[in-house]
Amino acid sequence: MPQQQAGPRAPDRALVARLAVGDERALGELYDRHGTMAYSLALAIVRERADAEEVVADAFGQVWRNAASYDPGRGSVAGWLATITRSRALDLVRARGRRVRAMERAAQADNDGLAPPDRRIERGEARRLVARSLGELPEPQRRVIELAYFGGLSQTEIAAELHEPLGTVKTRIRAGLEKLRGSLAPLLSGGES
Amino acid sequence: MTDHEWSELAAPYALGALAPDERERFEAHLADCAACRAEVRALRDVAVLLADAAPAATPPPGLRDRVLREARQARPIRRARGPLVPWLAAAACIVIALGLGYGYVRERAASRQTSAALAAARDSIAARDSLVATLLSPDIGTAALAATGQAPAARLYWSPSRRRVVMAVFRLPPAPAGRTYQLWAIAQGKPVSLGVFNTAADGRVTAAMAVPPGLTFELSAVTEEPAGGSPQPTQQPFLVGKVTPAD
Repeated sequence: MPQQQAGPRAPDRALVARLAVGDERALGELYDRHGTMAYSLALAIVRERADAEEVVADAFGQVWRNAASYDPGRGSVAGWLATITRSRALDLVRARGRRVRAMERAAQADNDGLAPPDRRIERGEARRLVARSLGELPEPQRRVIELAYFGGLSQTEIAAELHEPLGTVKTRIRAGLEKLRGSLAPLLSGGES
Repeated sequence: MTDHEWSELAAPYALGALAPDERERFEAHLADCAACRAEVRALRDVAVLLADAAPAATPPPGLRDRVLREARQARPIRRARGPLVPWLAAAACIVIALGLGYGYVRERAASRQTSAALAAARDSIAARDSLVATLLSPDIGTAALAATGQAPAARLYWSPSRRRVVMAVFRLPPAPAGRTYQLWAIAQGKPVSLGVFNTAADGRVTAAMAVPPGLTFELSAVTEEPAGGSPQPTQQPFLVGKVTPAD
């Protein structure tokens, strides 16, 4: 998400500067750019459309209220929005006691395909690389990373869920994330304008 | 824990996969370990990209209107009016030590007030986001400060470039029901509230707070106040620290 689209339009940061002074049109534009990302991410976590909508509305509301405190030094606007969206989504799942279910779904996604390319609508180069890189991880590594990121589970909870030793889970998380760091390097080095 | 063992926590931390107690311990370690902070920064950038791995879904047509409608009900938190005072030392970071300034003799109920209010949870998470961002900012300076005895102590990091402070508090029992702790910046002898906080049952908390634009201060202090905080301190501070520049 994290990556901004190249193009002649104003950078996301300019939009956030407008948000900070209460420009609603800027919020609409931000939604037009990243609403699909936020909704997709929310839905992947909460798994219910109505809940995903609530999460997205909450997340954009938080961006709107806190735009003045956005700090470009901490990453892209899209990354900020993604982080907020994920937090809101995991909050909602926990608040409703649906954590276990979300977790099961996340695990099940191994079969469903959390990221089957052929089911995806048009996506940018960056998204394809992320999906492909995750897909290319050894399945045990991919699973623990998905359970952590989309399921909001701790290492200990993942170990219990998968009936694996905690040490094994820890090793897989580290190895998986390190591999992603390598394969996603093109998106990590100065990708943000 | 050895340095190596700490560094192994960077990946699960970046993924949000540490249990709350592990996370708190690791964040306390981050305050003192530049190597782990760098590792977390790098791995967190990787983790953020995972949002792109969510299966693409099309938002319902009405969602855009809902976003705008709900936004209209809450105005953004505005920047202060008028020109912002430029931060001359924008890149510098200042570290303040809060030492024990006054006798801390209160006895407290150890029970922590747990509010399940959704708004509170949201604030807390928003605060955590910015806390981590501040701690992980490239220009943060840190200082290791020895705590003495069993008195409560705090370590405070002030990043002028981010206009934020991050405060780590140790050995301070949670404020009693209906009370809160409040952090003050003392600027030219006048206290200015930076925000309220409370500690967990283990006596610790790490909190991030915004510093008003243009505010510089020489001293920082903590008092106990009625819930919600006070416009001005109502008691003598029990923690006081002097601003000292980072190395």
